[in-house]
This record gives sequence, C-alpha cells and structure tokens, in this order.
Amino acid sequence: MIGQVASGKRALEIDNISKRYGDVVALDKLSLDVASGEVFGFVGRNGAGKTTAMRIVLGVLDGDEGEVRFAGTPLTLEVRRRIGYMPEERGLYPKMPLGEQLAYLAELHGMSPVAAGAAAQTWLERFGLGERAKDDVQRLSMGNQQRVQLAAALVFDPIMLVLDEPFSSLDPVAVDVMSAVLRERADAGLPVIFSSHELELVERICDRIAIVNRGKVVAHGTVAELRTGAAERRLVDVPNAAAGWGEDIPGTTFVSRDGHGLLFEIDPGTDDQALLHAALATGPVREFHRVQPSLGDIFRTVLQEDAPPTVQQEDAS
Amino acid sequence: MSDDTGGRPIIFLVAWREIRIRLRSRVFTGGTVAMVVLIAVGIGAATLLLGKTTSVRVGFDSATQALEQTFTASANALGAEITVSDIADDGAGRAQVTAGTLDVLVTGSPTAPVAVVKATVPTLVETALNSAVVDARLIAAGLQPGAVASAVGGAHLQVDALQPASTGRTPTQISALVVGIALYIALGLYGTFVAQGVVEEKATRIIEILLATVPPSRLLAGKIIGIGLVGLLQLSIIATVALVGVTLTHVVSIPTFTLVAILGYLMWFMLGFLLYATAYAAVAATVSRQEEVQGAIAPIQIFLILSYVLVIATLSNPSGPLATVASLLPPFAPTLMAVRMAGSDVPPWQVGLAVGLILVSIGGLIQLAGRMYSNSILRLGAPVRLLDAIRGK
Repeated sequence: MIGQVASGKRALEIDNISKRYGDVVALDKLSLDVASGEVFGFVGRNGAGKTTAMRIVLGVLDGDEGEVRFAGTPLTLEVRRRIGYMPEERGLYPKMPLGEQLAYLAELHGMSPVAAGAAAQTWLERFGLGERAKDDVQRLSMGNQQRVQLAAALVFDPIMLVLDEPFSSLDPVAVDVMSAVLRERADAGLPVIFSSHELELVERICDRIAIVNRGKVVAHGTVAELRTGAAERRLVDVPNAAAGWGEDIPGTTFVSRDGHGLLFEIDPGTDDQALLHAALATGPVREFHRVQPSLGDIFRTVLQEDAPPTVQQEDAS
Repeated sequence: MSDDTGGRPIIFLVAWREIRIRLRSRVFTGGTVAMVVLIAVGIGAATLLLGKTTSVRVGFDSATQALEQTFTASANALGAEITVSDIADDGAGRAQVTAGTLDVLVTGSPTAPVAVVKATVPTLVETALNSAVVDARLIAAGLQPGAVASAVGGAHLQVDALQPASTGRTPTQISALVVGIALYIALGLYGTFVAQGVVEEKATRIIEILLATVPPSRLLAGKIIGIGLVGLLQLSIIATVALVGVTLTHVVSIPTFTLVAILGYLMWFMLGFLLYATAYAAVAATVSRQEEVQGAIAPIQIFLILSYVLVIATLSNPSGPLATVASLLPPFAPTLMAVRMAGSDVPPWQVGLAVGLILVSIGGLIQLAGRMYSNSILRLGAPVRLLDAIRGK
C-alpha cells in the first residue's frame, strides 16, 4: 500500500529529465519538485514541454534521461497507478455508461470491484450525476462529460493529481468546481500539479508556479517570490497630458497606455517622485498608484529574458 | 505480481470489459439472431427441397399383385423409400390417387402394367417397376431372370473420360463450403472489431488514461482475448443451432457437422483469429480515425480474401497438391484446413503441422504487433509509417 507523504514534504521530484524527438528537444534537463498539500501550477507556451513532462511522470512516455521520484524513491508502476491523471486530450469511452466506466477505471487502478462501484457512485453524486450513472457518456452535455473526466482522475483515491490543462474549455461554473476540487484535494494532503494557459487562474489558486520554456524551468516559486526582482510599476492617469508625454522621464520606462492611464516601470535604484512631479506638471492627476505585476507580466518578462538568439519553432508539446 | 488489481490481472479486467460491452451491443444480439434464423430457414428449405423424408405410396390391384415382390426388392436395392399396399380394384385405386391418399396405382397386367399417377411417376419408382416388368416377361417367356442377369452382366461399355464433365457439387462439398464461408466471415468480422476497438481508444483519446495504468501489451492482449471469446461464443451458438437442426432433420447425413468436427472448426477460428486479430491490431494502432481503419487493414485482408479464393479453388480436389500445401501455410490454414477437414479425410500429421506452424507464427506476430502497437498508439494525427512503428522512431 502506498501511503501519502506528510503535508509540506517534498512528494514529487522531477530530476533533470530530458526528451528528444529526433532533432527537436522537448525537455532539456527539466527539474522541479512539488510538496504534498500544495497546488502547483505549470505554465509555459504551447510546445514548452509541459505535456511531455507530465507524460513522463505518468510513465506514458519514457524520458531519455533523468529520474522522477515520489517520496524519495523512483516511480514504479505501482505508484504510477495511484496517480490521478487528466490528459490534455480528454477521453472516455463514448458508448459506455458513466457508472460502469468510472468503476472500470477504478478497478484498473487497483480497487476491488465492490469499492470501485461505490467510489464511482460517490463521485457521480458529488458532481450531481448520480441519477445518470446508467447513461452512456456520449449522451451527456460537454460540461457534464468534463465532470466525469475529472471524476475519472479522482475515483480511485489517488495519492497525487497530475492534470494537463484541466481548465481548458470549461464554462465558468465548471472552473469553480474544478478549482474547489483541486484545493480540497491539496488540503487533504495530496500534491496537485496542473498546467494551464489561464494565468489569472493559476495566480489565484496555485501555491507555487513553475514557468517552463523550451524544455526547461526558467522560473519557479510562489507568485510573491516571482514578483521580487520584477521592476516596480506605477499607473498614472493624467487626462491633460499631451500625446507622447512620459516617454522621456528620467529613471522611468514607459510601458503601455490603456483605458485607465499610462503604465511606467521605475528603473531599479530610483524613486517614483520624479514621475509624480512630471505628472503634476501636466495638470490634474486622477490616479497614481503602485501596480503589482501580474503573473502574465512576469511570464512575458521571463520569456523575453529567455528568448533564444534566433527564432525557433518547437513542435513537440 | 505487480499488475494485480484486487487479485484479478489487468488482462482479465480489459477482456471482461470487451465481453460485457460487446455482448450488450446490437451487432452481437442482432447478428446472432439473424444467423440463427438464417440457419433454421436454410435447414428447413433444404428439407423441403430434398423431399426425401416421405415415402412414395404404391398400390397394386388384384391383377398386378404378382409384381409386388420383385418391385419392392428392386426399389429397396435402388434406395427408394416406398410403402406398398394392396388395392381391391382399378376403380378404388384411381379414386385414392385422385384423393391424394395413394401416389402410384399399378394396374393392367404383370407383363403390361399401367402406372396411374396424378402427374408424374418418381424416377426410382419407375425404374423399379420397369425392372419388375422385365422379370415378369422373362418368366412368362420361360427364362430365369437371375440367369439372364448374370449372362448380360458385365456387358456394359467401360468409359475412360479424359475430361470428366462437372458433376455439380456433392452435399459434402457444399457443407465444407459452408464451413469455409462461416470461418472467412467470422475471421474478417471479429478481426475488424479488434481493429476498430484499437482505433476507438485512440480516436476517443481514452488511450492516454489507460496507458497511465495499463502497460500497452496487456491492454492489447486483453482486447484480443475479450473480442475473441465473444466471437467464439457467437460461433458456438450458431454451430449448436446447426448441429441440432441437422441432427433433427437428417438433412445432411455426412460427418461434416458432428460435435467433434465442429470443435475442430472452432479451434481453427481461435487460431485464425489470434493470427489475424493481432496483425489487424498492429496496423490499426498506426491510424487515429475510424475512417482510416479499412485502409490500414487492407494489406492483411488480402491474405484472408486469398484464403477464401483458395477454398473455392480447391473445393472439388481437397487432397490435391494446391490444397495440401496452401492449407499448411499460416495465413490460409484457418479456413482451408478446416474446409479440407470438413470435406475429406486429412492425414493427422498435416493437421498437426498446420497447427504447429500457425502457433509459431502467432507467437512471432504477437512480439511484432506488441512493438508496433506500443510505438504507435500514442501518436495521434497522421498515420504512422509501418517501418517507423516497427523501429519505434
């Protein structure tokens, strides 16, 4: 019996895994670790290597080198079978009843037939599908199929969750259900790792984040940790400023203009008073405040810093 | 074992799912019912057409009763089923023929009898009657029919045909052909089910969830075993109906449909299925959509179609060199050897050799197919080239 890892301890360790597809490098010595009880977000552009990394964790793919460990020991088939997995490409048997299908998957993951049947019913009821256990999957709406897909990753009482783009094409209600379930499972002591393009969502629900680019982790930590080192930003709303104002204020860099005003980056080591004085010189100042860089901003900055000398298109995902 | 799930191996779970799902499908229930009905109708029609179950009722009136004994002996020698009765007189006999309670009334005199019938005299009855009349005339002429027969016996022409005309198919050949067609259809059908099942898991993307917990070789093995058992069950049901029907009606009194023979055909189905289904699964894993299945399995289907062509070509000469050699070759053995066993006596060493060769081929093919399946099953999109599937690049 494989037990859980004590909360806060390192549960999953991905240690220097590499994978090549011919000449394409999908993973280049990628390393990260996820603690139990932690929701871990995995972000990166398409083709950055997120799916490949997850597939290697699950043993669906073999890495060329490196090692994946759980609770300090290399992953065995026995441990892998206790990982709840939701692949990016969703899939269920369309012509098989929900209850039977979930019970089948639970049995494949090692549950006894009786426990599998009970667990299937429990999760269907949890997602409001208890009445439809005998319906074929293909008769469900898209939203309900996604609920069953999540149930398929949870039904066998996994010791870890690995979810590839679990939020993609979910409606807002389903997004809330998914977020709540991920947090609940993490609170129950599971390490939860998922990839997503929805950076706002990742920022909101993840304890820690890794940004992956070209097969490597280029930044990781809590959102707060990722922010440290990022440039200070100020938003200035100066309605009377002339067009082109602000582009040459010493100690600042003009970033962008949006409906609220103008966004500046304060150069390291300078203060923001020069910017405020310049703003006051144009007339009334409606707004002047500090802006926390969003995960999206951090993401773009990190990717820019990691930009390759030449443009390179990666096909592997 | 590391792959046990609550004491039950993964292969069992995968196979059991296939069995449950397929037994519930309309393809299975509808197909089985349709085949059973078809067989029942076929046996019924054959019984009616051959019409050999009712005997011909022949009546002799007082004037022709002298013919009765020789007629009966002659008819029995010819194999005609007859019931002979004595009729009071010509008028009463004609009335019975008209009423349909008598088929043939023999009236007139022993040397010049008249057969009164509704429409025609059955051939065998006519031959037997003629023979009886010849005997009566010989006796009337003072000759011993037995002596005359031995004197003229052997006076017939011996024919040495260089190109014998086709005599049409014997019931044994037709039965053997039925066995061949049934196996050909079953192998094609259930092999295709395996191919579609493999692609279904790829097309619906459930394959990735499965492979996270089931090694590909076990997933493939469970699928083939499960679908194979369903095929075996369906064929067994159909064969049982055929066996019972044939036994009850005696429509074919040849050793094509005995229990032992049928078990032999089912064995050939299992062997052929393992061979073809494994090959089908390997090539099906290279494509991602159901529309591409036919194209993928076509190169293997050619062998199955060829085996059917060989069945037809060798039907009238099941022990000839072509039939003998081809029935030993693994791709053709499942249909051809079964047909030879149904239509003739095959030396046991040939059956043994064919079984041995196909078992070796299945063993090798499972290795190759497992490799191709593992290398292709996660590669969605454009079909995987066969060489890439084998090499894993």
